[in-house]
Amino acid sequence: MDTLAHTVTGSEAVVPAIARPQLDLELRGIRKRYGDFTAVDGVSLKVKKGQFVCLLGPSGCGKTTSLRCIAGLEEPDDGDILIGGKEVTKDPPWERDIAMMFQDFALFPHMTVAKNVAFGLEMLKKPRAAIAERVQQVLKSFEIAALAERKPGSLSGGQRQRVALARAMITEPRILLLDEPIGALDYSLRETVMLELKMLQQRTGISFIWVTHDQNEAFSLGDLVVVMNHAKIEQQGAPEEILQRPATAFVASFVQGNNVFHGKVVEAADGLLKVATPAGSFLVPGAGLGPGSEVSFSVRAENLTDITDQHHLNRLTARCTAVEYFGSVRRHIFERSDGELLKYDQFGAYAARIAAGQVTTLGWRPQDAVLHTGIAG
Amino acid sequence: MSTIRVRSAASYWLAVPAAVWMLGVVVVPIVLLGWVSLWGGRSFSPASPLTFDNYSRFFANKTYLQLALSTVTHTAMLMAVTGMVGYAIAYFMTMKVRHPAWRLVLFLAFVVPFWTSTLIRGIAWVPFLGVNGVINQALMFTGATRSPIEAFLYSRFGIGLAQVSLYTMMAAGPVIYMLNNIAPQLREAAMTLKAPPRVVFWRIVFPLTLPGVVIGQVLVFLNVMADFATVATVGGNKHAMLPNLVLLFYEGSQHRAASVVAVLLMACMLIGVIAAMKVVDIRRLGTER
Repeated sequence: MDTLAHTVTGSEAVVPAIARPQLDLELRGIRKRYGDFTAVDGVSLKVKKGQFVCLLGPSGCGKTTSLRCIAGLEEPDDGDILIGGKEVTKDPPWERDIAMMFQDFALFPHMTVAKNVAFGLEMLKKPRAAIAERVQQVLKSFEIAALAERKPGSLSGGQRQRVALARAMITEPRILLLDEPIGALDYSLRETVMLELKMLQQRTGISFIWVTHDQNEAFSLGDLVVVMNHAKIEQQGAPEEILQRPATAFVASFVQGNNVFHGKVVEAADGLLKVATPAGSFLVPGAGLGPGSEVSFSVRAENLTDITDQHHLNRLTARCTAVEYFGSVRRHIFERSDGELLKYDQFGAYAARIAAGQVTTLGWRPQDAVLHTGIAG
Repeated sequence: MSTIRVRSAASYWLAVPAAVWMLGVVVVPIVLLGWVSLWGGRSFSPASPLTFDNYSRFFANKTYLQLALSTVTHTAMLMAVTGMVGYAIAYFMTMKVRHPAWRLVLFLAFVVPFWTSTLIRGIAWVPFLGVNGVINQALMFTGATRSPIEAFLYSRFGIGLAQVSLYTMMAAGPVIYMLNNIAPQLREAAMTLKAPPRVVFWRIVFPLTLPGVVIGQVLVFLNVMADFATVATVGGNKHAMLPNLVLLFYEGSQHRAASVVAVLLMACMLIGVIAAMKVVDIRRLGTER
């Protein structure tokens, strides 16, 4: 598969790399409406050369529509799309330097696997012998050579996924767009396929834009994770950044393992805010907000402790309602006095210290809480 | 779920009424036709010796052969026209008309005429095509012609025009069905693989609708080959096709000659259907996606 390495095209060579860092894709304020429904509302994004970007969000958040705008399958009402520095907003899909993998793979049912894979090269009007040779090579590298003469209807989900990937990658696009590419696969297959795709992406240096609603996919694959909600980008950044420093209450609650609190600032001093919430008052790092400001903050479940000392200034007493054991993590679900749930994770294979039904005081240090500033990184 | 198992006694008993019906109204008459067409001798009776004389007589007559040939070419022409017009209508209705209400209106506009009998719809063309018909009056009113054009009615052209209106939806219907079954992602996938719309149509859409095209063509072929009513009404007595010859012989009490033409007509149709099945196995339709 190393032969799929991206070749530098003429237009790239014109722009000196130092003057402007190479961007494979740039979205500038993309907007798309369907009647009264706004599907994408001012999405801006920069994708560096060879970056693995995951668009993450619940269904209907606009991630797929954004992807379709990049592909040229939808035309945005407003905003610009640049691929490799070239404006393509009005260009049809067949004139863009992209390839796309669809959720149900969209293999051509009347063509054999070999014909499906050859399709993109035939469109590029390559000589027939060269196409045949290249198809054989790619079929072999994707381990589907034995399926060459089969029709897609007789293939398993995993085989279809490989064929779809081979068909998209054979044209060596600048960007590969993937719409929930492993959503249709069996759960047991997903982890292997994810790893293979990540390795393929790193080897070829092709930018991947991967749409998913599954945060495990997004955080384990993406160099850049873009969290979307209600047609807008809530936050974009490295996986660690989004996990450790969620910018909005939505991101904090969408990402697993956060405890989200909403409240009002009652006091501000020494870089700490005292926030009154229905579950009690807590200290949160933050400045520039006066008393009365509405804020939200979150604390990760693993930053709580049930063995509190003088550093754990924030405390909360709650009843444990359930304990979930995941092998490396034991998650305790508590019910707060305001009825919301509180998650507390313990690592390691210790015997359970807290049992369901027990009332315990949990604490955390002020610096373990993250104030949601709403500024996307 | 059905509790009647395949090849059980119950399943055979359930098939009996339909089988008896088919035997009585299809198989027996066809066998009779074939048998009568072979009767030789002077008297019309089951005691006649069996010969191919009736067939020899048909094939020896240049006029009859000419008629058979013109039936085939006329049918082929009509298949080509209804095939193209029907495909265009089907494509327009499924791919271009996006609004459901418009789709319904168009669909009804195409389907409602079918609530009238084929015969009436054929005859309805007469007042349009005649010397004093709607078309001629309109042409003269606009000054396109000074005297009425007689070639519209009682002509091959008139027959063809009426039959195109009668049978185009037969060609379009199966194509509409097939087009509706094509997932939009297939066309989108082709487009992202650098195929412009024309290539998407010829490489993806058309091959996937081919079974529908073939079924439509078979329907048109069978109907036009068998259509004596439109030929008789719109064509007057000036034109005839093979089925009209059957009628002519029958009315002249030449039952053996009528049987010969009927058998030959059926043979033509059978060959046509077999040829179509070679292109697309209609029975396997819809099992592959």
